[in-house]
Amino acid sequence: MLKQSIWEKAGSIPAKFWNEGRADFPVYDMHGHMGSHYGIYMARGEAPEMVAHLKRIGVRHLCFSHHEALFGTEGNALAVEMCRRFPDTLRMYVGINPNFPEKIKRDLAMFDKWQPYAVGLKFLADYHKVPVTDPRYEYALKFASERKLPVLNHTWGTSPYAGGKVMLDLVTKWSEPKFFLGHCIFGEWDYAERCVKESAGNVWLELTAVPGERGRIEDLVRRVGSKRILYGTDLPWFDEYQAVGGVVSADITEDDMRNILYRNAESILGKDW
Amino acid sequence: MEKIRFFDVCCGVGNSAVKPRPGVAELLADMDRFGVERALVYHNCLNTLGAESANRELPRMLREEDPEHRLTGALCILPSQCPELPPPDRFFAAMKENLCSAITLDPFSHRYVPCRLTLGAYLDVAEKRRIPVLLNAFAGKWNDLYAFLREFPRLQCIFHGGDKWGNDRYIRPLLEAYPGARVELAGYWVPEGIADLARAYGPERILWGSGFPQYNQGSSMLQLKQSGLDEAAIALIAGKNFENMLEAAQC
Repeated sequence: MLKQSIWEKAGSIPAKFWNEGRADFPVYDMHGHMGSHYGIYMARGEAPEMVAHLKRIGVRHLCFSHHEALFGTEGNALAVEMCRRFPDTLRMYVGINPNFPEKIKRDLAMFDKWQPYAVGLKFLADYHKVPVTDPRYEYALKFASERKLPVLNHTWGTSPYAGGKVMLDLVTKWSEPKFFLGHCIFGEWDYAERCVKESAGNVWLELTAVPGERGRIEDLVRRVGSKRILYGTDLPWFDEYQAVGGVVSADITEDDMRNILYRNAESILGKDW
Repeated sequence: MEKIRFFDVCCGVGNSAVKPRPGVAELLADMDRFGVERALVYHNCLNTLGAESANRELPRMLREEDPEHRLTGALCILPSQCPELPPPDRFFAAMKENLCSAITLDPFSHRYVPCRLTLGAYLDVAEKRRIPVLLNAFAGKWNDLYAFLREFPRLQCIFHGGDKWGNDRYIRPLLEAYPGARVELAGYWVPEGIADLARAYGPERILWGSGFPQYNQGSSMLQLKQSGLDEAAIALIAGKNFENMLEAAQC
């Protein structure tokens, strides 16, 4: 005889997602992409299919950077175009490629014209092969500092470009940008904790690729508290229900789930953006 | 809606040689927490413990720690030319008493070439008896898996499809070519990808597996529940497909 599962507790957040496919609050996905990808077949890589997927589960905003801006050298303008087609749902990070400084200046000069869609910057140091502490990021970091903008970093444990040590160097040097550490420096959990605790209160851990890893969200909540954790999926890489499933099936409180899924994003960017 | 019955076909139990890992008790506790009825398990330490020892240890764990028989195991095979395991007739005849209903193999750790020459004696019998063959040792080794299935195209087998990065370019040709092959989706996080695979190849070809203990069961359960498929297809993937495989198997 099976015991009552987490999905069967009436009125709970897990039960709402299980039975109705969405909760009674909005979700903010703070780490997305868009467009086809060289190494993965993505049937839902374009804006219409992505937005349909997001609406099913009740994502209010997805903040994304376009694959063409990250794996190529253009694509930020294309991201704006997609935001304009789906203004209720899509927001963008301006992709920063440190190997092309003139394009950084060109695109950041457009930042104000790209309002209200552009909410921050995206660094993908592992792929661009430039450590985040390299001077080639300074123009973008100064820009983010002046405006106290979010900077979503792809991070990964032991990476010489965006691993624990260089991320700690970055976030303790720059106190004004709001650093979102994508993937929570996956595998270097001690450094993830240190980045939050040793910085000036301007660091959040972003969960992409973590939900579903057994016990990991519980561990991160213990280490830094749920107010320092943001929800993200890499959509169109990963399924929203898989990722939300990882959050709501973690052994954490419903308050923690709410912090991760929407309250923290609203406390950083407000309720109307 | 009738309650979905989940049968997890991708779970490891027992310590590995390098660190403590969750065992049967932890798996059963998670199954209770998430509402999973049954699970197919292999030994977490199969790679370094070896087939002979793992084939003793796994049934012992099941006998001692799973009194309700919610778990069924996978026994490991080796090349028949080295007489380390009982010959195929005795090996398969003992599966039931060993609380196992599937077989598995780990040629990359156990150091042999997975082909007809080495494994034909066991796998020809497995094919004839329709015994499920768990191929998760091939995870990420797509060239090896492709070569293996060319040698054994009619096996009733389960290969691992998840890797976080979407694997459709690897998975789909195998589902197209080998009717006896099913894909197990632990770590397959492609947005609505389960529904896409089911529509392309039939829900009968897809099995739900969590990847315990690396992954928890809850995340992929919600992914399947809200996959966009109808109730019947979800029920097949969640557990009915593997139950059907077990019913057809002659252990």
